Amino acid sequence: MKRFLLFFVAASLLAGCASVPPQASTTPTLPDTATPDGMIVPPAEGDIVVEPEPRPVMSVNRAVVALLDRAQLDSAAGKREAAGASLERALRIEPRNAWLWNELARLRLAQGQYAQAVSLAKKSISFAGGEPQLLAANWRVIGKARVGQGDSAGAEQAFRQADELLQPETTPLF
Amino acid sequence: MKLPAFPRNAVLFLFNFLKSHARAIRLTVLLLALGLSGYVFYLDVTIREAFEGRKFALPARVYGRALEVYPGLKLTPEQFLEEIKTVGYHENPEPNEPATYRHTLEGFEFTSRDFVFGDGLQKAQPLRIGFAEGRVTLLQERDKEDADLALLRLEPPLIGGIYPGHNEDRALLRLDQVPKPLIDALVSIEDRKFYTHWGIDPRGIARALYKTLSGQRIEGGSTLTQQLVKNFFLTSERTLTRKGTEVLMAMLLEMHYGKDEILETYLNEIFLGQDATRAIHGFGLASHFYFDRPLERLELQELATLVGMVKGPTVYDPRKKPELVLQRRNIVLQEMVKLNAITQAQFVEARQKPLGVIHRPPSGTSPYPAFLQLVHRQLQRDYREEDLRSEGLRIFTTLDPRVQRHAELALAGRLKQIEKARRMDANTLEGAVVVSSTQNGELLALVGGREARYAGFNRAVDAMRPIGSLAKPIVYLSALENPDSYTLLTPLDDSPLVWKQPGTTDWKPQNYDKKFHDQVPLRTALAHSYNVSTARLGIELGIDNVLDKLPLYGIERRPPSFASSLLGAFELSPVEVAQLYQTFADGGFRTPLRAIREVVDVEGKPLQRYPLNVEPVAAAAPVYLLTHALQGVVREGTAQGLVNWLPAELNAAGKTGTTDDLRDSWFAGYTGDRVAVVWVGRDDNLPSGLTGSSGAMTVWGEMMKNLDPEPLQPAVPEDIELAHIDPVSGLRYDRECAATVAIPFVRGSEPDVTESCPGALTDILTTFGDMIARPEEKPGEKTEDKPEPKPEPEKKNWIQRLLD
Repeated sequence: MKRFLLFFVAASLLAGCASVPPQASTTPTLPDTATPDGMIVPPAEGDIVVEPEPRPVMSVNRAVVALLDRAQLDSAAGKREAAGASLERALRIEPRNAWLWNELARLRLAQGQYAQAVSLAKKSISFAGGEPQLLAANWRVIGKARVGQGDSAGAEQAFRQADELLQPETTPLF
Repeated sequence: MKLPAFPRNAVLFLFNFLKSHARAIRLTVLLLALGLSGYVFYLDVTIREAFEGRKFALPARVYGRALEVYPGLKLTPEQFLEEIKTVGYHENPEPNEPATYRHTLEGFEFTSRDFVFGDGLQKAQPLRIGFAEGRVTLLQERDKEDADLALLRLEPPLIGGIYPGHNEDRALLRLDQVPKPLIDALVSIEDRKFYTHWGIDPRGIARALYKTLSGQRIEGGSTLTQQLVKNFFLTSERTLTRKGTEVLMAMLLEMHYGKDEILETYLNEIFLGQDATRAIHGFGLASHFYFDRPLERLELQELATLVGMVKGPTVYDPRKKPELVLQRRNIVLQEMVKLNAITQAQFVEARQKPLGVIHRPPSGTSPYPAFLQLVHRQLQRDYREEDLRSEGLRIFTTLDPRVQRHAELALAGRLKQIEKARRMDANTLEGAVVVSSTQNGELLALVGGREARYAGFNRAVDAMRPIGSLAKPIVYLSALENPDSYTLLTPLDDSPLVWKQPGTTDWKPQNYDKKFHDQVPLRTALAHSYNVSTARLGIELGIDNVLDKLPLYGIERRPPSFASSLLGAFELSPVEVAQLYQTFADGGFRTPLRAIREVVDVEGKPLQRYPLNVEPVAAAAPVYLLTHALQGVVREGTAQGLVNWLPAELNAAGKTGTTDDLRDSWFAGYTGDRVAVVWVGRDDNLPSGLTGSSGAMTVWGEMMKNLDPEPLQPAVPEDIELAHIDPVSGLRYDRECAATVAIPFVRGSEPDVTESCPGALTDILTTFGDMIARPEEKPGEKTEDKPEPKPEPEKKNWIQRLLD
């Protein structure tokens, strides 16, 4: 009886795992332009390029969106401190918005604050639920930050994690 | 500062020399002229230095958090009104001037003010706001288009300053902030020719000279400029020499500076009273000191009172000699009518009003002395004291006046009630409260004592007290970090314990109920704060292994390596405890508590930001389990009483703490959005007779009730699995049954599924389970003593085990 039950539960759980589609999550949704990008090429050491992530719907709160816009404008204009301030304002409004934490992580990465970038990406992961796009974005931040920290093995591992998240069918459990 | 003596015998000398030595005279005249011009030059330098020094000694201004308003925000019209009143908005039927508002059916129409934030100027805007069901529903710019606005950052409230000088307190004003009637009154009574004279009033001087020389009392006759000079050098000496120097300096001042500059400095400089060791300078501060309102909110007769006091604030002290001051005030008003500065009607109305001076002056210029002190200390790490006091820095902090107010009210209110209910002498209890925001570690409120307005011993930061059971979560988290050995259901041994350590007497911990509970599940031991099982658990884990974790959670102080430290026999301040619980509340991320967001210079240029920093210091899953156990403390443990204040759905997590002989009563806990720590005890460290739950917890509950907190729903880490457990047997069922509760496990540590849901037994189990769910009522019951022994953990992952 016990064994049978165990097997049944295991089978159903595994079935669940295997059948998760790449975009099984509900919100926030991704616009069409956000094609999953499995071709992450780790940049050369010491050369940190923080390419803009495809912009998903990060929040339905217009105040947060306004602050995000402002942060991205400031960041593009090189005013990174100001961008950080705006992101923190947004986070005060939506402290559990994983996208915002990811934005802040990417900003710190661009500023060369690698340890903070890793921490913030992990914080984002803690709120990300099952959102593969966002999880992958965070692992990419961690990967690049580790490159910056000179930890190439750690970086490679993070990039691999990001890839796997976006291509679950290529990583069978058995 | 001492001035050189005026050459008083110069005339006599000249006369003698003139008679006999014509050539020598010429030489002497030349020398004297040189000397005199040298002296004048010296005076010029001196007075300019003094003036410039005062003019530019700008205190640091400290602001609370700016309220961010946006559609959807939880905010009532009352709360909004309170906020804009705090930042000095006036009601006006046509609210088109900055800082005015009027009520509308759905909310308010108002006009914001220009304000320079750390990220630049935010222009004044005419706006409209609407509310429904406790939320903002509408935010619009009020102009032709009536465009919706996504977000408005209100001007932050000024919560204090860091002032220049030696105990010279002031609240600096720009001339355009000074109400016109004040200037009219001042000129009317003190110096009618102020705008036309060149520093001195020859007729006034002649009159003063005559009276002094003819042996009558020494008299002033000073212009405002002269009074200002006098104020700079603060000597009470009244001689002709000094008068001469003063006249010269006044004329020199007028040569260098315009009337407005001189008047502005005068208004900020003039001495207007004494508060123990603190000198009250300037009308801005005097307004707070005597009327507890900013100058721009004073009425005509109140402005006249202040002006009347210029003559001599020690004599004309409205708290000591109200009648004399009233008389003087009315003289000022009368002079104003004479000069047509006010109408007869205004005069009659103002003259009839009482003095209106507040009985007890507020201490300092900040209503939040404890918070301000913390800010000041943090700034001292990064700035020179003199820069803080003179460079006009603007400090943006995290204080939320609403949270602060409820924290103050809850502490003062509850302590009073407790004293009354327990027939204690009034004011024997003291307390402290720290509130921070869960996800970003910002300090929202800091209460240093029950009289929160009065600067004094800041218990929130400086009171070091044993933390008692508040330390237990550290032990339990250390255990839960080893999911192979410990789960929330692992039975702990609560039988008598003797701990021997060389060099110390044997330690025999007792439970608060003086009983032993044999075997208790881990979560139950924490819920009921059992000392013996916790101590044994900590010893099992290794005392040093547990205590060494403290720096990770932001506690730098290392308690001694005694087993008693596991039960909190070491001291921390409330703010340190808040730091500790912040990490638990934030899923294992440590965020250093912050009181300051940003410092900008006098021109608004950002000098320094104190950014949000996070660091993962504990794995998410064990912290999740700990939070679950701490929610159990509130649901069915020592903090059950919180239900009298907060709904069960809030799912708050918390821990009570009580120290030996009931000296300290603690409560630390968190909701979805706030972490708060409360300490209650006595300053003389005598027993207060309060446990954590009868003292501090009630303050916490009272405060949280009024803050409308967010429910606590921590994000579920990916390696957490919920299992349906029957708390009686410890058995796991394959689905939810009537007798089961959902208990989280780190994946792989959950008990094997053993049974499918027992249909017929449900009712019996429910009844039985209820008895068990509250074991604190029957602490001697043996029902929980024999939970199912946990299966030996296997060293394989769960998939491997399933496939075995």
